[in-house]
Amino acid sequence: MEIKGSVALVTGGGNGIGEAVAKHLAKHGAKVAIVDMVQKNVDRVVKDVKDMGGEAIGIQANVTSEADIARAIKGAVEAFGKLNIAVSCAGIIRDGTMLSLDKETGKVSKKLGLDKWQAVIDTNLTGTFLTMRDAAEAMVNGGWEGLLVPISSVNKVGQVGQINYSSAKVADALMPKIIVGEFLMRGIRNIRCVAIAPGYTATPMLTGMNQDALKAILEDVHLGRLVAPEEIASLIGHCVENEALNATTLEITGGLCYPNGIAK
Amino acid sequence: MQSISYNDMQFSVEKRGDRWDIIYQLPDGSSGVAGAGLFARLSESEAGPRALALIKTIFPVGIKSVGPDVTHPITIGDLKIIGPDVTHPNFIYWDKDSVSCPKEL
Repeated sequence: MEIKGSVALVTGGGNGIGEAVAKHLAKHGAKVAIVDMVQKNVDRVVKDVKDMGGEAIGIQANVTSEADIARAIKGAVEAFGKLNIAVSCAGIIRDGTMLSLDKETGKVSKKLGLDKWQAVIDTNLTGTFLTMRDAAEAMVNGGWEGLLVPISSVNKVGQVGQINYSSAKVADALMPKIIVGEFLMRGIRNIRCVAIAPGYTATPMLTGMNQDALKAILEDVHLGRLVAPEEIASLIGHCVENEALNATTLEITGGLCYPNGIAK
Repeated sequence: MQSISYNDMQFSVEKRGDRWDIIYQLPDGSSGVAGAGLFARLSESEAGPRALALIKTIFPVGIKSVGPDVTHPITIGDLKIIGPDVTHPNFIYWDKDSVSCPKEL
């Protein structure tokens, strides 16, 4: 599938990886629906695409809402007449260990709250499911060629302190196998699904963190720096154009290793 | 250029080359780009209705019911809050979006 002339919807498109993906696709000729919770971020990215001479609409929406996702997809199709690419970049973190122990007694002093669990599952898993489901519905009913791109994470392997995030991201990583298998059973041959699992990426969340902590993280990255959001966007652009990529999850980490040098 | 007033917001549909931009302005004076580079080669009379339909999708008007707060304590200090009685068998606990409303109760 060519990027030029295609129509893409990007959730979390107001900053970080989503913004880079939206701009990369627009730069290469796609029409883009930018979906984000924060209206001012939506406005900024749409204006940037406009200044690039591209085509875009902005939709403020919460990916955990079934009604909001349905509205976003309806808006993309109303504006551009079809939908070909859906990338679910919207995601949050609410880190914490499942149990915290009192140092003196060794007894549990605190548990990870259900609010922290549910918020991450709702956004990172349910939001991705709703985006992929409704985008696929539009593509099938419209008869349009398509690519579904759930965004997973390298921490799908299981990161201490991220039982909520890792649980959601390993589920996101499984989606391509399940979705493409279902498509094969249903005779849907023109829609592919490829998930992307980024490593530590230079988003505002990471670049703004404690620099000593960031330096410690980078010691385990073979590349020696954070992955740039534009590099992830470029990989997604390649996935659009290379139709042999399908039913899989691609990692883009710069060579992230465990401290003893084993690739993660 | 075409002006549209909708839901206390002002929109202008502006021609740029052979395409159309939708600019919005809020009552506080702030503005943004709702859409850029749309409706290629359409005339103003064709682009206007398309823009209005898109505006209504992007900026929906409606009420989202988020109450009553069934976890709210029944008393505040020495004040007792009357109703709704969430333990009544006819009370329907509702925390879903309107699209999730069942066809039959």
